[in-house]
Amino acid sequence: MRPLDEQETTQVFEKLHKFVGNNLKNIVENPSHEGPDNSPGRYCFRLQKNRVYYVSESLVKRATNIKRDNLVSLGTQLGKFTKGGKFHLTVQSLGLLAENAKHKVWLKPTSEMSFLYGNNVLKGGVGRITESISEHDGVVVYSMSDVPLGFGVAAKSTQDCRKMDPNGIVVLHQADIGEYLRMEDDL
Amino acid sequence: MGKKMGKKRQKIVLPPELPPEIPDEAVEVSDEDVQFVSENQEYTGFMSNLDTKTINKQVTRVADVKEDELESLYERRLKKKALDKETEKQGLEVDPVDALPVKTLDGKLHYRTVPKATQKSENEDKDEDNTNNKDAGTDASVVKRTKAEKRAQLKKMRKEAKKHSKEVAAVEDVEQIPHAEVLDEVRKDMTAEEANEKKKFRLAELGTALLTDPELNIKSLKEMLEISKDGDRDIVVLALKSLLAVFRDIIPGYRIRLPTEKEQEMKVSKAVKKMRFYESTLLSAYKAYIQKLIAIEKQDVYKRVAVRCICTLLEAVPHFNLRENLLAVVIRNISSEDDISRKLCCATVKSLFINEGKHGGEATVEAVQMIADLAKAHDCQLHPDSIEVFMSLTFDEDLGKHEAQDANSKFKSKNAKRKNLKEQKVLAANERKRTRKEMMSKTLEEVTAELKAASLATDVTERRRMQTDVLSAVFETYFRVLKHALKPRSESGSSPELAGSHPLLTPCLNGIGKFCQLIDLDFMSDLMNFLRKLARSGIDSDGSSKDVSACLTVSERLQCCIVAFRVMRNNLNALNVDLQDFFTQLYNLIIEYRPGRDNGEILAEALKIMLCDDRQHDMQRAAAFIKRLATFSLYSGSAEAMAALVTLKHLLQKNVKCRNLLENDAGGGSVSGAIAKYQPYATDPNLSGALASVLWELNLLSKHYHPAVSTLASNISMLSTSDNQIHLSNKSPQQAFKELSLEQESFSVRVDPKNSNAKREKWNASLKHNSMGPDLDLTVQVDENAVKSKLSEHYSLLHDIAENERLRRELAETTLSLNLHEQYKKQRKRRTK
Repeated sequence: MRPLDEQETTQVFEKLHKFVGNNLKNIVENPSHEGPDNSPGRYCFRLQKNRVYYVSESLVKRATNIKRDNLVSLGTQLGKFTKGGKFHLTVQSLGLLAENAKHKVWLKPTSEMSFLYGNNVLKGGVGRITESISEHDGVVVYSMSDVPLGFGVAAKSTQDCRKMDPNGIVVLHQADIGEYLRMEDDL
Repeated sequence: MGKKMGKKRQKIVLPPELPPEIPDEAVEVSDEDVQFVSENQEYTGFMSNLDTKTINKQVTRVADVKEDELESLYERRLKKKALDKETEKQGLEVDPVDALPVKTLDGKLHYRTVPKATQKSENEDKDEDNTNNKDAGTDASVVKRTKAEKRAQLKKMRKEAKKHSKEVAAVEDVEQIPHAEVLDEVRKDMTAEEANEKKKFRLAELGTALLTDPELNIKSLKEMLEISKDGDRDIVVLALKSLLAVFRDIIPGYRIRLPTEKEQEMKVSKAVKKMRFYESTLLSAYKAYIQKLIAIEKQDVYKRVAVRCICTLLEAVPHFNLRENLLAVVIRNISSEDDISRKLCCATVKSLFINEGKHGGEATVEAVQMIADLAKAHDCQLHPDSIEVFMSLTFDEDLGKHEAQDANSKFKSKNAKRKNLKEQKVLAANERKRTRKEMMSKTLEEVTAELKAASLATDVTERRRMQTDVLSAVFETYFRVLKHALKPRSESGSSPELAGSHPLLTPCLNGIGKFCQLIDLDFMSDLMNFLRKLARSGIDSDGSSKDVSACLTVSERLQCCIVAFRVMRNNLNALNVDLQDFFTQLYNLIIEYRPGRDNGEILAEALKIMLCDDRQHDMQRAAAFIKRLATFSLYSGSAEAMAALVTLKHLLQKNVKCRNLLENDAGGGSVSGAIAKYQPYATDPNLSGALASVLWELNLLSKHYHPAVSTLASNISMLSTSDNQIHLSNKSPQQAFKELSLEQESFSVRVDPKNSNAKREKWNASLKHNSMGPDLDLTVQVDENAVKSKLSEHYSLLHDIAENERLRRELAETTLSLNLHEQYKKQRKRRTK
């Protein structure tokens, strides 16, 4: 386990910024009440086997006691680095993203299943959508009862969405909670 | 002296015949008679004062005189009277101030003779002033009278003037002053008065003549115009007004088009010639009149009169020629500082918009475009009334839909896809329908065009085009105002009152709210951006130093949010957009609201539109609003607290998950979401962590001094225990706010029921009945003691809090000084060591 270097940090923050915008500082400076100390610590990012984890400092201190090969995971996984050096967010980051998301889309009950199978979100399935989404923004997908279902990338801005026909794609799928069942082995 | 022998008519009783006239010289007066008369002056003095003229008047019969001579007879009489007055002036002495006049048998006022030379000149002047004032007084009252009675008034004026002249004559029976100049001056004034009276008569005559038979007497218009060029202000005003009355009734219901050269050369019948002559005279006189009005409007003295005339003309005959000039003046004055002229102009423009049938819509287009230009020229520093008039505009309901259908039918062959579009078509179309028409054969076009010109019915496409023009001008103005409101302070220039430098913003927002369903989708995003920036404008954006937009008041920002929601709601068929930013703004505005300074009704409306009507909410956000509303109701007045509590109840009933706020579970447990602790100062409702808080404020509120608030608070806190309470309260926050702000008065009355006699008790009882809303379910028996105790509790609590704070401050100070002292001691020890 090692902390991220400059380049990796910028990549991670860029990806996160697409989804959470200014709330990034909330993520980075979140006080953590874990651990036996009274004063709250901070959260930090660690890299282990090409996966990025979001961990509280107290936990990191204790995790240093475990041998590198034996350490499987710690804290919350945010995403992975591919062999080509690119960073992708995975579904385990959904909790963190959903809390701080700027751009949200709520799905109608009829189209929830379709999204959970890995399909893109069509305009006819959109119940509500946040104003001021521009193209290629990160979007978190919720059900109507505010349960986060996954996230993706906006295919069009909100303005264009208004004029689209009902079969147009609004959000391109990136990750959803159905993956816990479908791709259990890969996670 | 003319004396006519009365002609004998059989049925009429004639006055008796006079004795044959004997010339004075032939009369032989005996000495005895003379002596007798001179001795007994008291008895015989009356003879010298006999008014032989009046006696003779009984004899000459007016009815015998023919029509034309009648006029001349009257005029002669007037002239003679005037001359006589002058001669008589030398005779009698009068001082109307000291003595009451006596009315003799023949109707003449006879003043007691007291010679006082110096005072007379004053009195004369005073009398002159009085007559002038009376003149002005009657004029002023004439000014205020409605135009419809003008004609009758003109006739009355004649009689009044006659009476007036008699009074003037009586008053002018003033003692002759030795100073010749004063006499001359008086004579001059007299003749000026005379002349004025004459002119007024002339005006009245001409006016009535024109109204009875306009075609015959059309030339008298010129004469009336001449009179209006007089020097005396009253005459000019009267002339203008009589001309106004005449024109209003004479002007035909069609636009006069002067005959072209060709037509003039043709041979036409007499009737047509007559008509042409009549029309051309009318038109030229009208032109001259309007030019005079416009010229005179620039002088302050005549401004109101001119504006009034112009407005009346525009309202009455908007279809006639020269409408543009009238419109230009009206619109120029639509923002003037003079209240009356501004109100007149606004009323005129509104009536123009409402009565479109009179002018077929073109005047609306022109007026709206002119107002838009005015706003541009003045850089949006106009009186709000000028934009308020836009609210009386009406558009066809299906303005957008028709265009869609039309365009569809034409583009069907080209773009089959467009058939499936459900959304509104673009209104400010790039390709006009007209260009499509050019593709049709030309002959067909010509024929249809001629047919249209001949028919008076308003063509549908024409109407739509005009309405589109109006709409685009209106929105241009609104967007200009919005842009102006967004300009940063340094740029908004030399206007000293920067804080209130957006007078047009409120009516602009109202207008946008009203016409929002007609806004084009393209503009929607820009509009939303603007509104967002405006709503945010109160807070400094961190980082940028001077780039802050102009500060708007809390009420204005609330209105921005309300308008944004209305716009969004009207376009629901396109997409259900969630306005995150505006919710954040509302969240912050609730805290910034101050009861005295800001408008509570707008807040109530905002709460209703944004929170109560909305169907779904993010749980975290809803909880954040609930918590903040509870905090708000703690420190605001009872009316706002009531509105807030009603909204709170609504939100709690709708969002079941928020009910854990009512449980006494401080950490929030598992439902609290990721944010473990409540951040009361968070600006973003989503990050406030309100799900982890508890609504302890309800407990405090149930001890509120106002019975309604306390009951509602206790009801809410019991909400979770009463399961499945689907009954939603019918009250909106606005109603609650209104009720309580009215109830304030009735509340204080109810406080002393003991001091009431029978009547007052009844009144109290009826008040109680009226003010209780059916939903509030109050069973309050207010008596003085309970209220007193509650109020005293409330204030003692406040007092305690203040005390507490003070003591803590003291404590902090003393601990600080103690610490310092200890440190100092330590340092000393170290040094000594």
